[in-house]
Amino acid sequence: MEAVTEVEERMQSARRAFDALKAEMARVIVGHEELIEQVFIALVCGGHCLLEGVPGLGKTLIVRSLGEILSLTFSRVQFTPDLMPADITGTNVLTDDPSGKRVFDFQRGPLFAHIVLADEINRATPKTQSALLEAMQEQSVTVGGRLHRLENPFMVLATQNPIEMEGTYPLPEAQIDRFFFKLLLQYPSREELARIADLTTAGQPATLREVLDASGILRMRQCVREVPLAELVKDYAVRLVLSTHPQSESANGAASLAKKFVLYGSSPRGLQSMILAAKARALLSGRPNVSFADLRAMLLPSLRHRLILNLEADAEGVGSEKILTELLEAVPEVP
Amino acid sequence: MTQETEILQQKFAQLLGWEKTKRRERIFTALCCYSLIGALVVLPFHAQLLAAVGRVWVLPAIFLVLAPWLIFEKRWRAQDSARALAELDKALGLDERAITAWEILGRRQASAAETLVIRQATERISALEPRTLFQRQWSWRDYLVLPLFALWLVLLWLEVGVSVDRHIGNPTAQALARQLREYSRELQEKAQREKLSDSLQAGRELEKAAQRGINEKTSDEKFKNDLAGLAKKLEVLGKPSAEQLSLSLTESQQNLKDLRAELEAARDLLSFPDAAKGARDLEQQWLDHLAMLPQLKRQLDQENQLGQGFRQNELRSFLDKLDKQATSELDRRTLLEAQQFLDQLMKQGQGDKGESNARVVGQGEQDAPGDTEKEKSRGDLPGKESGKKEGYGSMPEFQGGAETHVKGMLDEGQSSGLVFKGKPLAGKSEVSQDEVIASYRRQAEAELNTERVPEALKETIKNYFMSLGMGEGKR
Repeated sequence: MEAVTEVEERMQSARRAFDALKAEMARVIVGHEELIEQVFIALVCGGHCLLEGVPGLGKTLIVRSLGEILSLTFSRVQFTPDLMPADITGTNVLTDDPSGKRVFDFQRGPLFAHIVLADEINRATPKTQSALLEAMQEQSVTVGGRLHRLENPFMVLATQNPIEMEGTYPLPEAQIDRFFFKLLLQYPSREELARIADLTTAGQPATLREVLDASGILRMRQCVREVPLAELVKDYAVRLVLSTHPQSESANGAASLAKKFVLYGSSPRGLQSMILAAKARALLSGRPNVSFADLRAMLLPSLRHRLILNLEADAEGVGSEKILTELLEAVPEVP
Repeated sequence: MTQETEILQQKFAQLLGWEKTKRRERIFTALCCYSLIGALVVLPFHAQLLAAVGRVWVLPAIFLVLAPWLIFEKRWRAQDSARALAELDKALGLDERAITAWEILGRRQASAAETLVIRQATERISALEPRTLFQRQWSWRDYLVLPLFALWLVLLWLEVGVSVDRHIGNPTAQALARQLREYSRELQEKAQREKLSDSLQAGRELEKAAQRGINEKTSDEKFKNDLAGLAKKLEVLGKPSAEQLSLSLTESQQNLKDLRAELEAARDLLSFPDAAKGARDLEQQWLDHLAMLPQLKRQLDQENQLGQGFRQNELRSFLDKLDKQATSELDRRTLLEAQQFLDQLMKQGQGDKGESNARVVGQGEQDAPGDTEKEKSRGDLPGKESGKKEGYGSMPEFQGGAETHVKGMLDEGQSSGLVFKGKPLAGKSEVSQDEVIASYRRQAEAELNTERVPEALKETIKNYFMSLGMGEGKR
């Protein structure tokens, strides 16, 4: 019984921490509550996020503020076509040791931080992108034959601009699949814009308070995996993922749009990230089990970058958002 | 097992038990509804489908046929339990705690987080009253059952299937009895009209038998036996006696009727007051009129006497004898028609669909050989179809006080008949004037006997028709 109380306490503390984080973020970030929640969910799940939005919407500010509140180290890399892998991973430099002997010393790159902001990731060459994505997957880099572990927790927040595509190197589908979430930044509303103006043009910038540290996040990660998931709820997640596959026979409830416009449906990684994110959401809500609502809320960020659409979809301007929204209506929670 | 687990299991059992009860009720009402719809659909075909089974048993039979299928199709499955619990989650806003707890209860061990789910679910569900929370919901089937049942009962009471089945295939004893009753009444009317005593008696017996069949709801087999008995009886009655034999072989039915009318006219002639003027005058007058009474003339020709040398009493006696012969022959033929009707009725009862009723219309007694005029007997035999040519083909029937109709326009349906093709002589009618006058006079005589003609005018009308014949004779 004591263990149950302990779990209950952990869940409550997770919820309190999340509420505090939201309150602290609200002091510097106007709006984007949903985005902040999803970034935090990705963090406690050990995933990475791809942020898509036009410049000036506060991507960097969100990431930096998150680092400050969570007492985590933060680094930012502006990706350009001439950026080399060594520029982000680090490199061996010839130096003199205290005895005067010349040795190679590993100089850590910007990847050696808890939170890394990879700004405009699609402007770097595939070579550099691959180096980053390898680090994301393995959470380590190998330089000069030596393996270097990255920080734990480690999270990459890559951004890309959806409107300036000239001179960019779009990420291959296989690499996009490694992102836990793809999040879209929406343009602020009129009220939010007015508040942004007040916050940034009058008075001193607010000083943020630490509400959680790295060990707290790691404890949360452990809790997330313990959240029970009913078979019926899991079956709903499976059916949702299967219904994105137009060619799958078992996708009985596949939406008509998916059948028409999807070339390849979501990978199993999509199911993993959706269920894990749903568990994290339940935990942050102070609930000990996953609900259908959790899965529905996590469907879009988990799967929107995992659908490969056909040319017809491109021609008709149908995006994965629309397909997934229709899919939510088509697939019943209980068959 | 903790107390929380026990409470939760009890509540889940209550909920699922209630849902199963509702499912059983739904299956039952659906069964009733579909059975009633089925029973209503087959109602018009009861007689065809279930000749040996009572109409009331159709509904239970459909119910029993549908029941296994529907019970199997709508049986309670594990998925239904999950669905019921998901509904509970939604109704109480439990965020799938109930369904998760239900699954956890099925396992042997539970982690701390899972125990927490059970605890939270118990807290919310402990006060659950499934019957209150998930009340019965009435579907369209539930609302339909009673009205459909009432409708079915009413239609059963009105014997809708029986009235319809008269037109389709193999009728039941009830339907046959109704047909027989209808025919027997027509037969009695005809017998009364034509003063056919044996036919009248037979008509009454037939009506009695029909009424018995309707009231006592006798079985098909028994009713057919009754019909066979009646047919045999009629057959015996319909055998010609020695005195009828000469007429029956030579005369058509129409001729016999004409003869009776002419006999009536001749008798009237003998009764005229001026007939007593003298034997010589009477003979002359008689010979004049005889020319206008072809059937009677023919009969007298056969006697080779032409009425000459007859005294008034002898002539009257001869006419009486002839009238008796004609009447009894008509009576016999009517009985034969009735017997044919019964035979046809029995064939219908045996499902002999090939024998159309229409065919019977033309199956009256065949005309005597040597007759130039081919006529059919009256179409009052069973299976009379609308639009069929019936009765007298050559002459429109005269009806006093009413419009004159030409009956018997051909319509759809099976029928039989004889078609004679030939070129009539130019400028000549196919029907002789004598026959026309005789026919009208006959009908006029019949009408004069009814109450529709005022007593004061009867003499005038009679004289008019007599004068018609006399005028024609002079010309």
